[in-house]
Amino acid sequence: MTPLFAIAFRNLLRARRRTLLSGGTMVLGSAALVLGNGLSDGIARQLTRSLVAVQTGHLQVVARAQDFQPQNSPFDAYSQERLHGAEALARRIETEGKSAGVVRAVPYLYGRGTAIAGNRTSLASVVGIVSTREPELQAAHPVEAGTFLPEGDDLAVFIAAPMARKLRLGVGDSVSFVVQTPQGAVNSLDAIVCGIFRKGAPWQENTFYVSLSAAQSLFDWPGDATNVKITLADGSASFARKLRPRVLHMAAGGPAPEAKTVLRVETFEEAGRFSFSIIQANQTALAILSSFLFAAAAVGIVNALLMSVHERTREIGTVRALGMRRKTVVRMFVLEGLALGVVSAVAGVALGGAAVLYYGWRGIPMNTITLAWIAGGDHLFPVLSAANVARAATAIAALSTLAAIYPARVASRLEPREALHHV
Amino acid sequence: MSSLLLAVLLAAQAPPADEILRRAQGAVLGETAAYTLRMTVARPGKTERVVEMKGWKKGDDLGLVRYTSPPRERGTAYLRNAGSTWLYLPSAEKVVRVGAKQNFGGGDFSNGDIFRLSLTKDYVATLAAEETVDGQATWKLELKARDRSVAYDRIVYWVRTDGTFFPVRADYYTLSGRRLKWLTMGEVAKIGGRTRPTELAMESALETGARTVMRFLTIEDGPKLDDRLFTPSALEKGE
Repeated sequence: MTPLFAIAFRNLLRARRRTLLSGGTMVLGSAALVLGNGLSDGIARQLTRSLVAVQTGHLQVVARAQDFQPQNSPFDAYSQERLHGAEALARRIETEGKSAGVVRAVPYLYGRGTAIAGNRTSLASVVGIVSTREPELQAAHPVEAGTFLPEGDDLAVFIAAPMARKLRLGVGDSVSFVVQTPQGAVNSLDAIVCGIFRKGAPWQENTFYVSLSAAQSLFDWPGDATNVKITLADGSASFARKLRPRVLHMAAGGPAPEAKTVLRVETFEEAGRFSFSIIQANQTALAILSSFLFAAAAVGIVNALLMSVHERTREIGTVRALGMRRKTVVRMFVLEGLALGVVSAVAGVALGGAAVLYYGWRGIPMNTITLAWIAGGDHLFPVLSAANVARAATAIAALSTLAAIYPARVASRLEPREALHHV
Repeated sequence: MSSLLLAVLLAAQAPPADEILRRAQGAVLGETAAYTLRMTVARPGKTERVVEMKGWKKGDDLGLVRYTSPPRERGTAYLRNAGSTWLYLPSAEKVVRVGAKQNFGGGDFSNGDIFRLSLTKDYVATLAAEETVDGQATWKLELKARDRSVAYDRIVYWVRTDGTFFPVRADYYTLSGRRLKWLTMGEVAKIGGRTRPTELAMESALETGARTVMRFLTIEDGPKLDDRLFTPSALEKGE
């Protein structure tokens, strides 16, 4: 086998231009594959992290209308229904679920209204949180000015930078919220901006964080909330699914849900269908693109090796006349393909990996609204994973090897007598 | 003790608060009416927006308003029926349900203010004082919402004491006790056969400089209106 490898490498070096062209296709193909996977993984990571940190946790307890139909919108994760005794429920889940892997269970209240500052107004998503118990949310919203929501301050509000610009608000400025409570009354809250956070996902631009008690008072739901967000020690979807029946059992022990609503425990995948449909669409697009890349690379390899067979017809005739068996000829050409594939894969993943690392550090600006919605933020940070690198390298090497089979079989079928007369 | 004494003294002189409220509520539009009005929405730094509309009302539960100008908004219509408010947008050829808190025609009145609010049904009135407002002697009524489903938890309402029962002003408060907006009712004139306030001006206490004025151009009291006028399908068909 080793001499055959040496012959394969030597043959590749004999026709450098052709090797460079077909190898170059594969280098670019594998680099594109690594970069494409890096982008796709980056989008998946950004969307999932934001969803889990800000909206759903790994599991969430909500009350949903019996006829609830998700709209495939990022706001589907927020419930519109009242979750009675949410604070007590969160405490119970955290205490009883500790041994099962529950790290934290926190209630929050989501509602909509109007934010008014001077003569400027905007639609507002008002989210009441327990600020001291939201480390992931705090990390997902880096402070640009001021501070994160202070504990126990029912007059403070933490807002996104685009909203601060829109309403011309700075730290220390006052903003009023007017909402219609779920019962129907109009209510208001006057708050002072304590901090401004850098924009994350575009659908969080209208979000105003206030304390849970301020939101409960604003929406006239004392002690209640809309969601209980549960963080698990193991953040995988499979673990969340495994733990769900247990959490549902704990939740069922609490106050009964309101009429025409049902209590549900949803994994982050179920609650964040919008994000996961984007992730799935990206993965599908990448798979389609990869298959075209593979097809183009395969055609290049087949063509290059067929040319090689044609040019080396007399040589093949000679080695066959000297006693080389057909099987060995096939092996020689297949090894040539493998050698080309391995070298191209190494160069390609190095190139693609370097690009992923560079953009992962610098970020790719998502300058349009559509791009920002797809990436879940105004910058996309691709992710380099060992699995993706290995997958791309293996795929390219395997493709090159498989693509060499046909030219190898063509070469092996040459009759020594005719091959020796080939001009 | 002094407030109790004041209440007793006021009660001795004035009609019951419920009666004042009932008469004041019918001062502008009667139980059934057809009208035309001009709405002017003012926002600081922006051009005033003027919309003219035709409206019909039948009791507290049925109401319809249809825009007649400007031409690009002509045909837009709001309907109040069976506890719901509907909006018809001719450009989209669609009838959509709208919330009571959403603003009416982009102004400072909410849909609830126009169609939903029934002061006599939704509030318990008490006579709080006699005050002079804009040179007019008035009864000051404190209206407290009967339950938490009513839009404004509290309304302070001033009604003229000169026997006309014309409302002069209303201040609307949120659950948290914040004054949200106030309505002034003036420009008393004879229209549709009787004298009444013809201009309602709503101002926002939160949005500086925001003001919406509704001026009645014509009013016909007590027309015969078919209930079928107040259905979503009629809304879509237009006039």
